[in-house]
Amino acid sequence: MAPGTMEGHMNDKKTAVSRRNFLKIAGLTGAGVQAGALIGAGVAAGKDSESYTGWESFNPGTQFFDRGPFEFDGPAHLPVGPVQRPSHITDYVFGRVATFERAFEANPDWTLEDPIEDLGLVPELVEFYTRFPERLEWDYRTFSETIPANREDTEKYENYYKLAEIYSHGFTAHGRALPSPTDPPEVSDYQMGHEPYTEPIGDAVPFKNPELAAEFFKELAHRYGATLVGITKTNPNWLYSEGWRGCPRDFDYSEMPEHWEYAIVIGVPMEWDVILASPQFSTSYDGYDRVSTVAVRLEGALKYAGYPARAHTPMTGYDLIVPPHAVEAGLGEVGRTGFCITPEAGGNCRMAIVTTSLPLATDRPIDFGVAEFCAKCKLCAESCPSGAMSKADSPDGMVIRGYEHWYVNNGACYNYWRESMGPMGCRQCVAVCPYSRKDNWLHEIARQVDPRDPTGVASSSLLWMQKNLFPYPDADEYRRPPVGRFASFREPPEFLVSERYLAVNIVKPKEG
Amino acid sequence: MDLTGGPFWFLMGVVFVVVASGFHVFARDRGWVVTWWKALLAVVWYAILSTSFFAWGTLIGENEASAGLKLFLIGLFISIVFGVALIRLMARPAR
Repeated sequence: MAPGTMEGHMNDKKTAVSRRNFLKIAGLTGAGVQAGALIGAGVAAGKDSESYTGWESFNPGTQFFDRGPFEFDGPAHLPVGPVQRPSHITDYVFGRVATFERAFEANPDWTLEDPIEDLGLVPELVEFYTRFPERLEWDYRTFSETIPANREDTEKYENYYKLAEIYSHGFTAHGRALPSPTDPPEVSDYQMGHEPYTEPIGDAVPFKNPELAAEFFKELAHRYGATLVGITKTNPNWLYSEGWRGCPRDFDYSEMPEHWEYAIVIGVPMEWDVILASPQFSTSYDGYDRVSTVAVRLEGALKYAGYPARAHTPMTGYDLIVPPHAVEAGLGEVGRTGFCITPEAGGNCRMAIVTTSLPLATDRPIDFGVAEFCAKCKLCAESCPSGAMSKADSPDGMVIRGYEHWYVNNGACYNYWRESMGPMGCRQCVAVCPYSRKDNWLHEIARQVDPRDPTGVASSSLLWMQKNLFPYPDADEYRRPPVGRFASFREPPEFLVSERYLAVNIVKPKEG
Repeated sequence: MDLTGGPFWFLMGVVFVVVASGFHVFARDRGWVVTWWKALLAVVWYAILSTSFFAWGTLIGENEASAGLKLFLIGLFISIVFGVALIRLMARPAR
C-alpha cells in the first residue's frame, strides 16, 4: 500500500486504533493476572514454612524484632508492698495440687464443709487456703468431680485424640530423659554431667569482656535451638522459697547462691498449627522439650568453659520463676495471662533459664504496648473455659507477693487442664492472644505499626479486626458435654486427625 | 522453590508496567489529563486493591479463609469508594 494515499491512511488509523485497544485489553488482563497471582502469592506466604517463627530452617534469624526503640532502663518490676518469694508448696500449682491430692486420697470423705485442718495438710498450705479460699474450692472440685468425669470422657472419646497424645508423648519421652541436678547448687552446678557420670568443671576460660561473652553465648543458644535469648541479673525475690532441686529439706534457702548471679533466658514457641488447635489437640511438651534441650546444652557449654551453671527448665524443674526474668531480659512484657508476651511469638513462647556466674552484659526491658493492649483486649479472659483470668480493666490493686499484676486463679486454670481432652493442659489463652501470630508480611505490619502508634488507633483497629473478622468459639464450648462440645479454637492439622490414620472405633464428642 | 521470591516480584513489576500502559491509553482516550499527583493517587488505589487480594490469599494460606474474605471485602469496599472518587477527579479538567 502506497503511503500517503487515502486507503493507506485509513489502514494506518485502523492499526493505530487496534494497538490502543490491545494495550487497554492487555492492561486489564494484566490487572486480572496480578489479582490472581497476588492471591496465589498470599496463599504461599500464609503457608510458608519460614513464617513458622522458631520452626524455620535456621535459628539465629529468629529474634528479628528490633527492640532498640522500645528499650528503657529497668527494672520493669517494682515492688508495691512487702515482697514474698514464691513457694513450691502453695503458689506452684503442681506442687500444691499434688499435696492436696495425697491428703484427699487419705481423707476421701472430706468435703468443703469440713475444717481444712482435718485434711492433714502442712501448715503453709492451710494458711494459703485460708487466704485464698477460692483456690481450695477449685482444687477440691478438681479431685472430687473433674478428674472422675474426665476418666469417663477419656474412655468414650480417647481415640478421637489419640494421634495428638502420640505426638505429645514423643516430646515427653525425650524431655524426661534430660538430666536434672541431684545435688545442691554448690555441688551440682560445679560438676559436668550428672550422676553417675560427673567430673568437676575445669578452669574458667577468660572472655575479653562481658559484652563478648554475652554475644557468644547468645549465638550458642540460638544455634542450640533457642528462638529468643536475653540476659538479666537473677532476682533473689523470684527464687522459690524452698525445694530447690538436689537440696535437702533442711537446706538454707535464705540466700541466693552467688554463682546464680546471671540469668540467660531462652524461649521457643510451640508448633503453630498445633497450638491453634488448643485446648484439645495441642501440647505444651513440644515447647517444653525443645526449650529444656536448649537449656541443658547451654548449661553444658558454660560448664565446659569453666563456669558453674544450672538449667531451670519445664522438663528438669525450676528453682526460680521465669516470666519476670524474661521481662527484665527484654524478651517481652507480662500480659493479662501472667506470662511473657514477646514481639516475635506473642504468648506462644515456652521459656527456660540458665543461671551462671560468668559475667555477661545484660539486656534492657522493653515496652512495646502490651500493657495498654491487654487492658482493652481481654480475648484470653473471655475465651478462658475456667474463667481463671481477670476481666478487670486494669491490674490496679492486684498485688501478688508484693508485685502488682493481673490475677490468674491457677486452681481454676488447672481444673480445666483436667477436664480437657487430648494432651494434658489447655493453652487456650496462648492460642487466642492476638500477639501469638506467625511471621508473615500481614502480621509483620501489625507487629511494627502498633508499638509505634502513640494514638492507640492502630491497636484499636487491629483489635476490632481480630474480634470481628476471626471466629471465636464461646468459652463454654470448650467444656465437656453437655455444657460444651470439647471445641478447639481451630481445627487440628491433618496429621493429628485420628480418623485419617487409625483403624479404631472413634467417637466424636459432638456425636457422643 | 520459593514461588514468591525475587523472580515473582520482577514478573509482577513487568505486568504492572503493562497495566500502567493500558491505563495510560485508557485515560487519554477518555480525555483525562493525568497529572503526576493523579497518577500517584491511581497507584495508591491500585496498591490498596492489590494488597486486599494479597491479604485474602495470605489468610487462606493460614487456614483463616473466612477472616481473609472479610478483610478482602473491607479492602474492596474502600477501593470502590476511593475508585469512584478517583474517576471523578480524573475526569475534572486540569486548571
